[in-house]
Amino acid sequence: MGDTLTKVKITTAFEGKPNARALKTYVDNGGYAGLKKAFTMQPGQIIDEVKAAGLRGRGGAGFPTGMKWSFVPKDDKGPKYIICNNDESEPGTFKDRYIVECNPHMILEGMIIAGFAIGANKGYIYTRYDFFEEIKWLETAIREAYDAGFLGDNILGTGFKFDIDHYAGAGAYICGEETGLLSSLEGKKGQPKLKPPFPAISGYLHRPTIVNNTETLAAVPWIINHGAAAHKTMGTEKSPGTKLFCLSGRVKRPGVYELPLGYPIEKLINEDAGGMLPGYTIKACIPGGSSAPILTAEELKGLTLDYEAITAKGSMLGSGAIMIIDDSMSMVELLKVTVDFYHHESCGQCTPCREGTGWLANIMTGIMAGEGKKEDLQRMFEISRNMEGKTICALSDAAAMPTKSIVTKFGAEIADFIERGKRA
Amino acid sequence: MSEHNHNTKSNDPAPAFTPALRKQIEGFLTRYETKRSAILPALHAIQDELGWIADEHVEILDKEFGLHRVQVREALTFYSAYRQKKPRQFNIQFCNNIVCCMLGANDVIGKIKGHIKKFEEKGKESPFSVEGVPCMCVCDGAPAMLVNKDRHLNVTKENIDSILEKYASLKSGV
Repeated sequence: MGDTLTKVKITTAFEGKPNARALKTYVDNGGYAGLKKAFTMQPGQIIDEVKAAGLRGRGGAGFPTGMKWSFVPKDDKGPKYIICNNDESEPGTFKDRYIVECNPHMILEGMIIAGFAIGANKGYIYTRYDFFEEIKWLETAIREAYDAGFLGDNILGTGFKFDIDHYAGAGAYICGEETGLLSSLEGKKGQPKLKPPFPAISGYLHRPTIVNNTETLAAVPWIINHGAAAHKTMGTEKSPGTKLFCLSGRVKRPGVYELPLGYPIEKLINEDAGGMLPGYTIKACIPGGSSAPILTAEELKGLTLDYEAITAKGSMLGSGAIMIIDDSMSMVELLKVTVDFYHHESCGQCTPCREGTGWLANIMTGIMAGEGKKEDLQRMFEISRNMEGKTICALSDAAAMPTKSIVTKFGAEIADFIERGKRA
Repeated sequence: MSEHNHNTKSNDPAPAFTPALRKQIEGFLTRYETKRSAILPALHAIQDELGWIADEHVEILDKEFGLHRVQVREALTFYSAYRQKKPRQFNIQFCNNIVCCMLGANDVIGKIKGHIKKFEEKGKESPFSVEGVPCMCVCDGAPAMLVNKDRHLNVTKENIDSILEKYASLKSGV
């Protein structure tokens, strides 16, 4: 068990530094040292180090990164790809944008190391198109890295070739799902693909591909530089390291907080963020992006921010997007916004998702219009239950999980709204 | 995908491709592993340069650049980013997801709509259009909006008027 209280800055190390994004600032502060060290190691050793560090995918799923890398066939001599998933579309999340704002070179360095480890020579950063400034910063960083010899045909004289290009999405939540992203990168509509085969075997253009979240890749240089053991001194045994938490809502200081996993959520809200704005109290909390089941204020007591503890409470750490819902928010409105979002973003490929999200949205529209029925709550629960585990990707589940939790935990408030709506 | 999509087509004449735009699209054709990957960047480039994507543009991509019209249409109609009609001078994309909503996004959207209506009542076209969009991932600055490519944070009923006035006083820009 590591330290779950002491703050160490890894992915936000350049926060607030003058000229934070510049290559010079990065190199002057130990940047690209992880890459240099990686070149002294065997590719297999790098994968083992990341495995031993216990790094888990920071985009939401929490899958062990080293294990994901190890699935790439070693004897395959054809093209392989590293994709940085910088789509950041999970509602409530704003950490990947912040990493780019702090220092995009950390992402590039992580990608080059990952490429060296799995034998890939090409990487793409896929960013949501409306991060206009952030895309410019990334493109500048890529140019700087080429000019300094960190990218190109013969990186630092090692003979290793790695190229990175940037690709902008076009406004689709589903492209945050790794196989949806790959479809989009191929110029197609962003529909996810059936797994297996997993991208590590057959991904971009049916070639072995690793898709990692921005925050995951940004943590890699530090791990290689300082070693797996140092990484494991932070966080909990099963959730080692630090994680970026995106705190939003009516707290005094909303923002991105880099904290060791296992940090107490109440400490984050009340001490780091300064507590709630005067006149507001916590009604509920969505701990891991809008796909995560909602927690009541009561359930936050004693809760720690690690994958296991939040799962034990019936929700998930997800992307680390902590949305504090205060007493000004109607749960009817919250549920309406949530189901409308998933209905809008369903790619339409699988019937349970395409139809299910539509039915949920229709029911909520009816309730909002004062045409709700008493049985709507049960019906939404049943529809959600039938949307789970039946589709190609997790968007359907992502719509079902919060719906089930909101109608279960705040059913009385919604029932009351339906009742009052009828009288009106 | 229809609610936020710009599927309504326009009767406006399609602006012609500029030489710079042609050159940019040419570059995309060889930049990626397959030609098809050039579709999204090409559509972004057309929209950036000309404001929107017309049927005629799809035909040019097919006939002159070898990007199949069916594949181009697939992307054009799937992704929310692409507009198929001429936009007003300032297109406002206002986030109406959870946190922005909780912090009053709908009130501000209502106010912008009222602003647009005032123009229409005078028989004029407002330089603004507004649409609700999914989370922009800047929730620490909620409520958030984009005016064309400019991001604005902490937009409230109180400060929206001065933001709109600032844009309205500008002479040009798409």
